[in-house]
Amino acid sequence: MIRLKKIASLFLICILAGIFFTGCGEEKSDHPTKIGMIQYLNASEQKMSEILQKAEEKAKIKVTNYQTIFFKNLNSMQLALLSGDIDQMSTYRCVADYLVARDAQIKILDRSSVHLKDSFCFAVRSEKVELKDSLNKALGEMKQDGTLEKLTKEYITEPDKSKDPPAFEIQHFDGAETIKVAVTGDLPPLDLVLADGTPAGFNTALLAEVGKRLQKNVETVQIESDSRAAALKADLVDVSFWAVLPEDEERPADFDAPAGTILSEPYFSDEIIHLERTE
Amino acid sequence: MELFELINKIFIKDGAWLTILKGLGVTIEISLLSIILGTLLGAAICFFRLSKIKPLEIFAKAYIAIIRGSPVLMLLMLLFYGVFARSGMSPVMVAVITFSMHTAAHVAELLRSALMATDKGQIEAARTLGFSKIQAFRLVTLPQLTRIAKPVYQSTIINLIQWTSVVGYVTITDLTRVINNTASRTMQPMITIIGGMIIYLALSYVVQGIFHLTDAKKQKSEEAAA
Repeated sequence: MIRLKKIASLFLICILAGIFFTGCGEEKSDHPTKIGMIQYLNASEQKMSEILQKAEEKAKIKVTNYQTIFFKNLNSMQLALLSGDIDQMSTYRCVADYLVARDAQIKILDRSSVHLKDSFCFAVRSEKVELKDSLNKALGEMKQDGTLEKLTKEYITEPDKSKDPPAFEIQHFDGAETIKVAVTGDLPPLDLVLADGTPAGFNTALLAEVGKRLQKNVETVQIESDSRAAALKADLVDVSFWAVLPEDEERPADFDAPAGTILSEPYFSDEIIHLERTE
Repeated sequence: MELFELINKIFIKDGAWLTILKGLGVTIEISLLSIILGTLLGAAICFFRLSKIKPLEIFAKAYIAIIRGSPVLMLLMLLFYGVFARSGMSPVMVAVITFSMHTAAHVAELLRSALMATDKGQIEAARTLGFSKIQAFRLVTLPQLTRIAKPVYQSTIINLIQWTSVVGYVTITDLTRVINNTASRTMQPMITIIGGMIIYLALSYVVQGIFHLTDAKKQKSEEAAA
């Protein structure tokens, strides 16, 4: 009899646990839309949530209908979208185009509600003003002579979709100073690593061109996305890629610059769009 | 056919297999060096822990408590971006130091528990029969110690291989980093991660196989002696 009671209790516990973990009844129709987003170089999840709320309020959208979930990299966010853990993922237009061209299970969401735009720039340690100035000078020249536009066309706006973005050979200058640059490989076609292990993409091409103009050697250091700020602060790299300069009023200009770092002039800007699963 | 094409594109085409192999090599290099140094350091820490000299015992206790209680990634980042940041030491060397320290804490505790499980009476008997301290340890304690510690030590090695998957945080391109890069490039994270898991699993089976071989060899020699 006691054994029977124990079995019945265990059975009841299992049912209750099942209800607790999986929920019971029909799913509520007004559940918030879960949007995935990649963590920034500096801006914390809390800060980003506040900014998004402001942006959504400005766009007159009911903020409680959205829940932002942050991811360390694009892969985990893509997996979360495919598994249904999130309803949409937020990323840059060029990244979205790259992704959609390679994964038929994902499509660009046309009715995306909030249209923010980000500019990308280099982050350097604040005492390296000279380096920042020289980067700005090289970027200015590249803008003027059309090199930046040419690279943008080749890698972003008019890429050869049938193959991976090409690697760009980084020129070597004997006896010249070396600039160490952190690359993540996490944000194609801006930043990726080719099958043979070579860093490639728009950022690397840009880097090679900057190095050539500054007559300096450039060394790429592959690093996890969320270690970029630590590597910069510890002076293990001189430059970090894709710090973000906002193009809206909601976000302060230095929101993605970690303490002790300064940002270069922007070299590229892109719209933030949303992606969802294909039905 | 489509799946094979996808596998070819992700893991083989354009020298991808070679890059994966290089990443695997880095993982093995860090794991192997860490297990050797970690075992030696762990034996020393265990010796300190059982020492009658109080400061050594306190040091060993504190070391084990701190290292075992902190996540290995935190320790790695603390050493790489803090302690050794301006030392010019290579990232692989810092990783080996970190994982050796971490493994040492675990090995010290597993050796201590194995030592406590050995029969003290046998050592006393050996000493009574005229064995020196070293002889008693080598011929009586050590065989029992290795037999008791072996299964846990095997798990420690397998755990260590998995712990090394965080070295991408300190600019090292190991197997996990290569797999992540490949997933980002091909935008096929699921199949790429499964491939990575199979490689790690194979590595674990190699470790298990080595231990199994040593066991079988020992059994054979014992049977031959009998």
